[in-house]
Amino acid sequence: MNQERLRILSLLVAGKITSEEADRLLDALEPHPETPAPDEAAAKTASTAAPKFLYVKVLSAAGDNVNVKIPLSLVRAGLKLTSLIPAPAMEQINKSMAEHGIAMDFSNMKSEDVEDLITALREMEVNVDAKNGDNVRVYSA
Amino acid sequence: MRVPPYLLRLRVTEAGRTKVRLWLPMFIFWPLLLVLGLLAVIVALVADLVSLASVQRPRYTGFVVRCLGLLGEARGTEVFVNTESQTVVITIR
Repeated sequence: MNQERLRILSLLVAGKITSEEADRLLDALEPHPETPAPDEAAAKTASTAAPKFLYVKVLSAAGDNVNVKIPLSLVRAGLKLTSLIPAPAMEQINKSMAEHGIAMDFSNMKSEDVEDLITALREMEVNVDAKNGDNVRVYSA
Repeated sequence: MRVPPYLLRLRVTEAGRTKVRLWLPMFIFWPLLLVLGLLAVIVALVADLVSLASVQRPRYTGFVVRCLGLLGEARGTEVFVNTESQTVVITIR
């Protein structure tokens, strides 16, 4: 935790600032989730650097909007965790996932595969335009 | 390993008015998390020792440590859901 955040939180705990003021100050330190997606040019510039976040954006024709921003380090840590799941539990997980249409054996995934997968995500972009006007974008930046 | 999340923010807005603005200072729970984490690691170490003789040799300690690490990596997660009537924002910092 950097010094600025720590200072804001200590001011909040001490009651010197209100939660709204702390909210504004912390917002000033970090980009807000409601901010629009980076445009294509910005995305291309960012693609040269290692991506840090995986974005999932859903825009329905009805106007509903879902933006999810997941740190890639969380994806990496989660995938690496799968190699440590005990075999009997992994079998149950794989069986349950297969029942739900995701037939993937995570027990075969090695640490190098995870790194390759994360590297590959840099160039990955999924863009789905449904007939009914729904739009789904998955990309990393 | 990164430090665990220190703040969870939940905001629910209905028809332009903020209905819920929750600030959960997660850093208050850090001491509790430390105790629980240590207990889990001790239990996992014992389980690893017990299962030393088994063929499969599950690595419970590594699993518990990675789980705790996963918690730290959750920092930066943001979920924004906007429907016709409601907006929900969840931020983990």
